[in-house]
Amino acid sequence: MKNARSVLAFAMAAAMALTATGCGSTATADSGAAESTATGEASAESTEATEASSSALNVMLETPVQSLDPQVATDGTSFEVIADYTDGLMQMDAKGAAVPACAESYEVSEDGKTYTFHIREDANWSNGDPVTANDFVFGWQRAVDPATASEYAYMLSDIGQVVNAAEIIAGEKDVSELGVKAVDDKTLEVQLNVPVSYFLSLMYFPTYYPVNQAFYESCGDTFATSPETVLSNGAFTLTSYEPAATAFTLVKNDSYYDADKVQLAGLNYQVIQDSQQALMSYQTGALDITLVNGEQVDQVKDDPAFDSRGAGYLWYISPNMGSVPELANVNLRLAMTFALDREAICNDVLKDGSAATFTAVPPQFATGPDGSDFSADQTKFADSCAYDPEKAASYYETAKQELGVDSFEFDMIVDSDDAPQKVAQVVKEQLETTLPGLTINLVVEPKKQRVEDMQNGNFELGLTRWGPDYADPMTYLGMWTTGNSNNYGLWSNADYDAVIDRCSTGDLCTDPEGRWSAMYDAEKIVMDEAVIFPLYTQCNAEMINPNVTGIEFHPVALNRVYKNAVKAG
Amino acid sequence: MKKYILKRILTSLFTLLAILLVLFILMKLMPGSPFNDEKLNDDMRAALYAKYGLDQPVVVQFLKYVGGMLRGDLGVSYNISKNTPISQLIQTRLPISIQIGGMAVLLGAVVGLILGIIAALKRDTIWDTLATIISVIGVSVPSYVFALGLSYSFGFRLQWFPMLFTTTDITGSSVLPSISLSMFTMASIARFTRSEMLEVLDSDYMLLAESKGISGPALIFRHALRNALIPIITVLAPLIVDLMTGSLVVEKIFAIPGVGSLLVNAIQSNDYNVVISLSFIYSAMYIGIMLVVDILYGVIDPRIRLSKEGN
Repeated sequence: MKNARSVLAFAMAAAMALTATGCGSTATADSGAAESTATGEASAESTEATEASSSALNVMLETPVQSLDPQVATDGTSFEVIADYTDGLMQMDAKGAAVPACAESYEVSEDGKTYTFHIREDANWSNGDPVTANDFVFGWQRAVDPATASEYAYMLSDIGQVVNAAEIIAGEKDVSELGVKAVDDKTLEVQLNVPVSYFLSLMYFPTYYPVNQAFYESCGDTFATSPETVLSNGAFTLTSYEPAATAFTLVKNDSYYDADKVQLAGLNYQVIQDSQQALMSYQTGALDITLVNGEQVDQVKDDPAFDSRGAGYLWYISPNMGSVPELANVNLRLAMTFALDREAICNDVLKDGSAATFTAVPPQFATGPDGSDFSADQTKFADSCAYDPEKAASYYETAKQELGVDSFEFDMIVDSDDAPQKVAQVVKEQLETTLPGLTINLVVEPKKQRVEDMQNGNFELGLTRWGPDYADPMTYLGMWTTGNSNNYGLWSNADYDAVIDRCSTGDLCTDPEGRWSAMYDAEKIVMDEAVIFPLYTQCNAEMINPNVTGIEFHPVALNRVYKNAVKAG
Repeated sequence: MKKYILKRILTSLFTLLAILLVLFILMKLMPGSPFNDEKLNDDMRAALYAKYGLDQPVVVQFLKYVGGMLRGDLGVSYNISKNTPISQLIQTRLPISIQIGGMAVLLGAVVGLILGIIAALKRDTIWDTLATIISVIGVSVPSYVFALGLSYSFGFRLQWFPMLFTTTDITGSSVLPSISLSMFTMASIARFTRSEMLEVLDSDYMLLAESKGISGPALIFRHALRNALIPIITVLAPLIVDLMTGSLVVEKIFAIPGVGSLLVNAIQSNDYNVVISLSFIYSAMYIGIMLVVDILYGVIDPRIRLSKEGN
């Protein structure tokens, strides 16, 4: 017994000693931070000698890169990394406008259907080859080649309206007939079916990036799977990478034509899927920029390093009007959209800075001919979308009378991810409280299954999202045309289709102001008929090292651009 | 013995083929497809199906897949690393998972054995109670809780070890994940060792050995532990495969580029080829370890070896 007691005492003493060391270590956190940063940079330094090794940026990613092949990649993470080491004809400036990159100048024909790009003399690939017009021809042909099966091929056909792109994708014409040709080594000529007002802004989208044909062919099947099988013509070069890597590095590309402006020694990417680990890594100084999830926001929101950036995604509820008779009733749909308290969803549930949205086209990604944000005015459609329980109740009464029923029950399908589930739970509560007799059953599904169900029309209500592909409201408005595969609700309106037609391929293509106001008319139809119930525009809550400046954030195409970033100290 | 081993190997090969078939059918039955993104329309999906041969009859797909496998071609990834050959994805990841898993097995088995032996020898003392408490905690607390706790205390607060896996310090950054992974093994081994040892210690031949004057380590290791080892190895075998193939959650927490995190991502994105390949490798390792265990039985226990030779 005496023995037992001494053992117990020893164990407790040991436990206390351990706890004491744990608390005492706070003071040493800083020195440790310096150490871990130093090791991160040492690795970059060892791969290539750079004079400014103190300023490599340590960046957290949520998911691994899916592909470094510019014509195959589809996700924001891959796009960001590809753009780190590749320049297109144009690149994004800090505000998201297209500015010349590989192209030093361009001309647009009077009819707006022919673009001629002049490629810089000093644009070179990292193997020494010059960047030529043929690199773009080859890259674009790969994008529409059915053998590539590029998921973003439609960026050239439906959206870019490049001549013959649609026919080539459909297998009706040969890739050589694509409306793009190398007039000479440094001159690229592009033919479009119709004038496309936002065409230049597509040039920074990775699907339009150049690929060096000779290099591509020398890589065979392994193209873009390692530092040896990619070429850089951009601000950085890839120095370590494996497919689906959890950590990889880039260093400054000294042979880049704009190398004088690049101040970072490199980029050290770290994939961290556990949000707690990510935040702790940031706090030790191992990361300069990291994402913060909604639950952590309360913990860090007073930190000056905390920031929230628009991620572009509009989250919305799509009612299935095609196969659910009750939801085909516009008054019921209006009742539901008026019953949703979007501010509460953003402030009490998401907390990451996501913005309540009352328009079908979310704010902050599309600027018009006069430079203003298409959806800056969130009260523009207040008559058909707002939080107003009284209006909701009155529309609800009308709907009940019209349909001759007192109660409704709908299934709502939701992604199994954390945030959508929480949002759906609140949506259910709000709808059921404000509209007595309405029952919402949440059906949680893996995302891929949820998307499939919605695309097949196999749902009643669905919580879904859409991210803009290009900086024009049409990236949203194009969805609700009759027969569009993203028109989940199977809504159809001839007037709407006509407006969209005029704006995308019709007479308004050459009239930017007229097109802009016609797109508001189209959006009004969507809102008045409550084709979708917009909820919020997603934001990413982030921690950014206060010593770091100049990272450019964009909700479209390239979410983060580091070319002009500076890390002091 | 040779004939027995040959027979076991042949059975294993047939089992593997059957597993492959079942896996293939299961994947086909799974809801959703690898190409269900909101940005994809029907035409594009059809093009992707055609590209990867998924539009062909299931039988043709299966035969092609098996044919590829026999040539060492596991196919390409559809989603998590588009168009990358799976062999390329696995070849750098498997060694990492095996290394961390191996460290965990070693740690778990050694510490578990020691704890178990101590508990058995000092039965009903505070040592026994302590060992039991540790085992209960080890078995009942999931490894990711240990992972988070260790990462917080030794990674974040004390900064003794890296919080995340890094290729510049593989050994150092493997320590915390290995410990988190080893807890369950350690606890199970400790419990089994204790009960097996107690049984052996109570047996008549131990009494005989003791009365013959054998004592100390010789008595415990030569006579008691050796006899207690067989059931322990049976328990350890599947645990080894489990650990070697990577713990799904622990790899995610420590950002380890192993096969476990790959499998999770592949399952979530319906990346058929990756899931089938990894499950197949998992099965092959399991069957392989079981084969080794069977042979080990013979080495440890002459009775098994002799009876099999008799057959």
